[in-house]
Amino acid sequence: MDESAAPILEVANVTKRFGKFTAVNDVSFAIADGEFFTLVGPSGSGKTTLLRMLVGMEKPTTGELRLRGKIVNDLAPNKRPTCMVFQSLALFPHMSVGKNVEFPLAIRGEREGDRRTRAWELLKLLHLDPNRYYDKNVTQCSGGERQRVALARALAYDPDILFFDEPLSALDARLRKTLQKELKDIQRSTKKTFCYVTHSLEEAMVMSDRVAILRSGVIEQIGQPDEIYASPKNAFVAEFMGEVNLLDITVTGGTSAEWDTGRKPLVINLPASLDAGTKRKLLIRPESLRFIAPGESAGNTVPVRILNQFSLGSRIQYHVEVVPGCTLTVERLREERSTATAEALLGWDLADSQILES
Amino acid sequence: MSDALPVPPPKARLLERIPGLIGALSASPFALLMMFGFVAPLLCVVWFGFMPSKTFSLVQTPTLENYETIFNQTYFKSALWSLGLAAVTVVILLVICFPLAFAMAKIFRGAASFITYAIATSLFVSENIRLFGWVIGFMKKGVVGGTLEAWFGLQVDSLLYNIPVIILGMVYVYLPFMLFPLVLGVKMVPDQVREAAFDLGASRWQVFKKIDLPLSMPGVMIGSLLVFVLSVGAISEAKILGGQKVVTIASDIESEFTYAQNWPLGSALSTMFIALTTVVVFFALSRFDLEKLLGKKPAE
Repeated sequence: MDESAAPILEVANVTKRFGKFTAVNDVSFAIADGEFFTLVGPSGSGKTTLLRMLVGMEKPTTGELRLRGKIVNDLAPNKRPTCMVFQSLALFPHMSVGKNVEFPLAIRGEREGDRRTRAWELLKLLHLDPNRYYDKNVTQCSGGERQRVALARALAYDPDILFFDEPLSALDARLRKTLQKELKDIQRSTKKTFCYVTHSLEEAMVMSDRVAILRSGVIEQIGQPDEIYASPKNAFVAEFMGEVNLLDITVTGGTSAEWDTGRKPLVINLPASLDAGTKRKLLIRPESLRFIAPGESAGNTVPVRILNQFSLGSRIQYHVEVVPGCTLTVERLREERSTATAEALLGWDLADSQILES
Repeated sequence: MSDALPVPPPKARLLERIPGLIGALSASPFALLMMFGFVAPLLCVVWFGFMPSKTFSLVQTPTLENYETIFNQTYFKSALWSLGLAAVTVVILLVICFPLAFAMAKIFRGAASFITYAIATSLFVSENIRLFGWVIGFMKKGVVGGTLEAWFGLQVDSLLYNIPVIILGMVYVYLPFMLFPLVLGVKMVPDQVREAAFDLGASRWQVFKKIDLPLSMPGVMIGSLLVFVLSVGAISEAKILGGQKVVTIASDIESEFTYAQNWPLGSALSTMFIALTTVVVFFALSRFDLEKLLGKKPAE
């Protein structure tokens, strides 16, 4: 987080309980003014509940929400200078595109001419030709167009913070990528604070300045996408980052450990020394694994059998089997593809592995 | 090479027509029932309206004398009473039922189905029997009056035979016909759309006016039309609870057919009133385009 930027929104020890179930458990973080902040977590991690508290649709059981230093726990959504783009978009089906965008302005009692001018500007900003779209019925718009209308409507409200409840999840991959970039562009050009919620870390990585990873109502890690990628705090975060290899290990003493493959334990070397008996996970990225040619050396080597290989364009992904039931994922550049067909020796350097708590 | 499309053999064409034939055959019993049970009697009534007064034959020279009678006498009064009572019933029911429908659709969970069953069960008992129950309640020294006298020493005269009690009866009898369409209408309003409006700064009243009401309009329209059409032809409420205080058009028609034995005049009155109701209903429908409200058609 950019320390110089003042926090626009502070979440202090916020807990939300529904009966006996704790959806959000003592969460604290701050969002800086002008930041693109993303809350990411699997379904059931409490991210939507947290978001609903931030916009005012739920009240925290305990804790404080401070917007520009003012406590807003009990402030209703229509009194907050924040606005949310819903997962369902929640466009008004009985209104045209133009009337949807003008809605917050009409509520505020702005004159019709001013409303129209503003709606026209916003539609242009979002690449919707106002001549074609202003009078169009929202129910006739495509998925991507509806996204843009929803964003235009939220921007018309001119909120201090714009919240997003994974609005892009229903779109196909290509359109989603386009809109992610557009969203980032709009955030940059409007200098607004965006707070995005998603279950896709990939989406979070593309757009965000900072990411908070939630698990069962608790923030596991918070930081810039690069930081989190380079040093995930634990195995959950690492796994959430994408396809990685996590080995169950038990330290036998010093830098030596046993890898529990499910059948027979394999002895491997660790990048750091730990007390004997400690159970940890060893993270090795698919791109850190390589096939070892005869005579070449690596920190660790294991004989494997190649099960499958898939082309990922510039890279090739291999699924290899260490012992039956225990597989690893290897990714190599196309130029470095293995010549081995079935049996091969796989290895990694100690520096490319990380010891994580589970 | 010939590029003409292959002509299907006659047999195939017959097969293609079979689903249509089956459809027509399956529909024919209902079509016949509607012809004999609805269209034919209606045409009879319309035609009877043009027969000379106090006659019982359909094969006579048509005349307009019944319509002259209607316009020269005060039947318009009972027609206005019927329309007025129906309109008031619709308005009162809208006001009463909308909050209840909203609660049933959005707030109550298990209680909603209980209320549905409770209200639907009341329909199992004949309307007349329920209304006579009310008579016992409201008559002089009845359940209400008697209780007030016994407990508080208040002398209450009969609460029957006035206009408010007629309206009360109509509101009570037609409540399910307004409530159930309204519940369906309110259910059509997505929660997130309401939340979005609220989030964009709208007050509760603005959300109701700009979101809830327009989006549940199909239910409002269907409920209002049902109640209007049913209550405009209502006869029992005015007769049982209202005594002779108010004469509705339906009881006028009834007395022409029974007491006065003037079928042609009764028919002419019926025809007039059917026409009047149709005009009112179509006017209402034209004002509110249901398909547009449902979002199937683009706004012009």
